[in-house]
Amino acid sequence: MTEISKLTELRKLMQSMERTLGLEKLSSVERDIYYAAEELSKSDQEVRTFGLIEHTLVQSVSRPTFFRALKSLVEKGYLSQSGSANRGRYIVNAPR
Amino acid sequence: MRDAVIAVRAWVIDTFAASLAYVVASFLTFAVLMPLQNMYFPEYPSRASLLFLPHGVRVLSAWLLGWRAIFALLPGVFIVFAYLGGTDVFLSSRLLAIAIAVTTVPAVFYLLKAVGWDLFPRPDRKPCWVCIMGVGVITSFLVSGLTNLAFGSETVEYIAFLIGDISGLFFLMLGLYFAFRLADRRTG
Repeated sequence: MTEISKLTELRKLMQSMERTLGLEKLSSVERDIYYAAEELSKSDQEVRTFGLIEHTLVQSVSRPTFFRALKSLVEKGYLSQSGSANRGRYIVNAPR
Repeated sequence: MRDAVIAVRAWVIDTFAASLAYVVASFLTFAVLMPLQNMYFPEYPSRASLLFLPHGVRVLSAWLLGWRAIFALLPGVFIVFAYLGGTDVFLSSRLLAIAIAVTTVPAVFYLLKAVGWDLFPRPDRKPCWVCIMGVGVITSFLVSGLTNLAFGSETVEYIAFLIGDISGLFFLMLGLYFAFRLADRRTG
């Protein structure tokens, strides 16, 4: 595991604690999509909607819920639309 | 050759980070929290801390690094024992206590994995912090019991170790959570 991955795993642990203690700012679906996007962005700078939907953490989420949560993540600044012509690509930002 | 250099670099970083975290957590425990404990609970008979943050470092290091946590924590644990006990650190009971402190938690994680409860981090799943706390409680019982055997301490110390370890792990995780939030706000 790389140093970045260790930090990500530690953050994921803290976020699971955050959820149980009711300290979170994101819904559970938003959080799962963000985890998945964070994971996928390690191999590629941009994250594709298709890749996100296929991710283990997001597979059980219905399409409408997925797209609502994705839109909410963009509005909250956790993800941003990629500047490239393809609209189905996102860049992962650090949580605020 | 390049892979070997990267692997060695990762070992050095892990060892430095884990040992530094252990030393800092110990300093906070013994130089800040213990004086407060003595001020607010002067009648408490034990010399053990009721908020022992280093246990949290032990548990999180073992969770993240697996068996490598043994070597990563060893310098930090040795420094703390040497600071507290001086040259007594080379007594067989102290050396045994150091060995117990660094090996118990990874051993419990691997034992649980062997019986089918793999808690080690994996990119494709969410970690379970309550389970990590559970390991913290189990290992606290083991470390307290074994350390007290090594030192021949009294029962009151044993109970104080347990309270200190469990509260230490919880508050260390809570502290890390707020540290991440603060870092996010700064970078955001």
